[in-house]
Amino acid sequence: MPERITLEEWDLRYERLQRTGLSQPHYGGPLSRHIEDGDQRLLKLRYDNSAAALRLWNFLLTEEDRLRDARAKGKKLIGTMKDLGTVPVMAYSFDNVTAFYPDGAWWIPCVMELSAGLLSIADSLGIDESFCPVRAMLGAFLTEAHFPVPDMLICSVGATCDDFSAIAQRLNGLGYPILWWEIPHRRKPGPDEPVVSLPGGFTAPKCQVEFVKSELEHINTALEELAGAKLDEEKLSAGIKEANRVRRYLAELRELAFTAELCPLPALEMLIAEMLAIHFCSDRRETIGVLKELLDEVKARVRAGIGVLDAGAVKIFWVNPVADLYVMNMLEDCGGRICGTEYLFTHALDLIPEDLPALEALARMALADPMVGSSADRAERICTDIRRFGSEAVIISRIPGASHCALEGEVIGEIVQENFDIPVLEIEVPPVTDSMRPTVRTRLEALVETIKARRKR
Amino acid sequence: MKKIFYTCPYVPAEWIEAHSLKPARVTPNTAGSATAVIQREGVCPYARSFINELITEKGADGIIVTTVCDQMRRGFDILARRCDVPVFLMNVPNTWQNVGVQKLYIDELRRLGKFLIDLGGKPPSDENLANIMLAYDTARASIRAARGYLPAGKFAEMIAAFGRDGPGEEFTSIKKHELLIEGVPLAIVGGPLMRRDFDILDIAEQAGGRIVLDAAETGERGMCAPFDRRRLRDEPLMELARAYFGGIQDASRRPNSELYKWLKSKLIHREVRGIIFHRYVWCDMWHAELRRLKDWTDLPVLDVDTTGDNETHRHRTANRIHAFLEMLK
Repeated sequence: MPERITLEEWDLRYERLQRTGLSQPHYGGPLSRHIEDGDQRLLKLRYDNSAAALRLWNFLLTEEDRLRDARAKGKKLIGTMKDLGTVPVMAYSFDNVTAFYPDGAWWIPCVMELSAGLLSIADSLGIDESFCPVRAMLGAFLTEAHFPVPDMLICSVGATCDDFSAIAQRLNGLGYPILWWEIPHRRKPGPDEPVVSLPGGFTAPKCQVEFVKSELEHINTALEELAGAKLDEEKLSAGIKEANRVRRYLAELRELAFTAELCPLPALEMLIAEMLAIHFCSDRRETIGVLKELLDEVKARVRAGIGVLDAGAVKIFWVNPVADLYVMNMLEDCGGRICGTEYLFTHALDLIPEDLPALEALARMALADPMVGSSADRAERICTDIRRFGSEAVIISRIPGASHCALEGEVIGEIVQENFDIPVLEIEVPPVTDSMRPTVRTRLEALVETIKARRKR
Repeated sequence: MKKIFYTCPYVPAEWIEAHSLKPARVTPNTAGSATAVIQREGVCPYARSFINELITEKGADGIIVTTVCDQMRRGFDILARRCDVPVFLMNVPNTWQNVGVQKLYIDELRRLGKFLIDLGGKPPSDENLANIMLAYDTARASIRAARGYLPAGKFAEMIAAFGRDGPGEEFTSIKKHELLIEGVPLAIVGGPLMRRDFDILDIAEQAGGRIVLDAAETGERGMCAPFDRRRLRDEPLMELARAYFGGIQDASRRPNSELYKWLKSKLIHREVRGIIFHRYVWCDMWHAELRRLKDWTDLPVLDVDTTGDNETHRHRTANRIHAFLEMLK
């Protein structure tokens, strides 16, 4: 039966699965071995008990090995920053390029429970706790302990959050060259402007799509120089098709996980699965395999009418990723389940058009980034998904220090409540919530109780 | 004449005036958190103050916000929902090195022009635009020339008045007193200052300093480059874009190496001996530059972080500036 289990329980289950002939990829093994890498937070989490989830976790937690292996094999490493999904589609269209997000270091303070010292290094560089936890990235660059220093860094700026832009500039000031590219604020087309539809339902004026395409052309040239190979239309189109395979699996997974009567997969595994879309966890082919297995598991559970949570779990739409993964567990412990997410990268989940010239398709995708447009746009999309998934409440999870969190919550909350009679709760989630666990838990419990009481009305 | 309010230095006042509308650059007075409409943690006091003033402002016929920083960009969402007057969000690129982004800035000026016409403005002729640019350029030159003859607070107020009122007689015939202020030559570096924080400049001068470089966004750093008079006649819009987009160096630029080149030249030329680095809490763009600036310069740097509305902070700031000057003297 599906259930959420502790790491200790996973070890026992792992032994049982092995005895029954568990087939694992080369990076497989018991989850508890990652504790030796310092990933202390794993001890506090609860995990889905499927072999598919085991593969997902092992895949996630071995990314550093994959990057070092890629370098050892002579592949070029690209550190793509901030755009969350666009440049990796280009990079993985080359045979000899691996792309990853150094931004992902923002979860290291959580996973290692602040023991890695990355935030202290950021402090020493003048990037203190008033910045988003992504500042951990600075420490990761300096220590070189969590990922190899990439051969090239590519960072989108313009309509992005100030924290990241400022931290990337700090990195640049420390001597790390960065290829900057401009992503303009997505705006509504004027009455006399040609309109272009974007993935996810937004629109933009044609001139903005053309501008972004020209920026991507610069990146293309830089990637070609680094890779020593041309990225022609055929290769890039093939790359888009592969990225769409990932997105199709995720779309199906999300649909089932958010609409099944019984929740078939916990929020934490779903969060990680969604994250795979942005840079394929440094191995696109394996990402497809991991997601397929996860989807098969979920389909089987839905068919069997079984799940990991109670039938009455309250349906929550979650906005922004959590800096502390534990909070996803906490929501479920309080009686909630995730039915709808907006983790800042919906553009990495929407299908990339395959009937357009490849770079134009990617330009459209980049402009569909929810963070590139207004908070009102973002709220409208959230409303669309609330309708689709039947969410009963919205939680806006503030990222400490993040510039977008200062004002967006107010706009999103207002628009959601203009459209639905559902509660909106805003909470702040630091990388490790232990000291404020009672507060966060009480607020989540109160929300769940409120909704359950409303159901009886 | 209809009034168009804005605060970002990358908005060319000349362009608004050429559309027969009145540009008014807002220098908000205080973050006023007790009465502010926006009461949320993490909001930059300057952005909060700007939003708050415009929500309660009755004299604006249009508002321009830019994308230079994320909080202002998102402030647009609030203004668009709360204000009765039309609000325009102007895309100002952070990158600057390729022709594409320079063209984007010019295209945005043209789009702004349409907004202004929709508000009742008139399409400008090149000649009209050039004449207005000339008047602004002359006034700016006059203000710049007055720098060494005015206390820094007065100089900042003059720039603010110019932004609010545009060129007038008072800016072309500035009375230049013999410079009375002596003291340790200082620079103030940072983002914009609210009006109430202009007194930081006075405090520094009362403590024995002399602000020879106001590199705040509301100071001379936020003034566009002088116009090339020939290009101004040939292609005024292009020259306007060059002087603003290419002439104002800011921490938000990517890369922002030109800011440091600009600073280096000014610091050397004006023989600066100490830097007051001013930032508002939650302003990531400038906060992130503090340590870099300290690493970059041999000059002592005093970090002054303020909330824009707190008397305790003001006393603390005054004490820190006094201590800084004592050390420098």
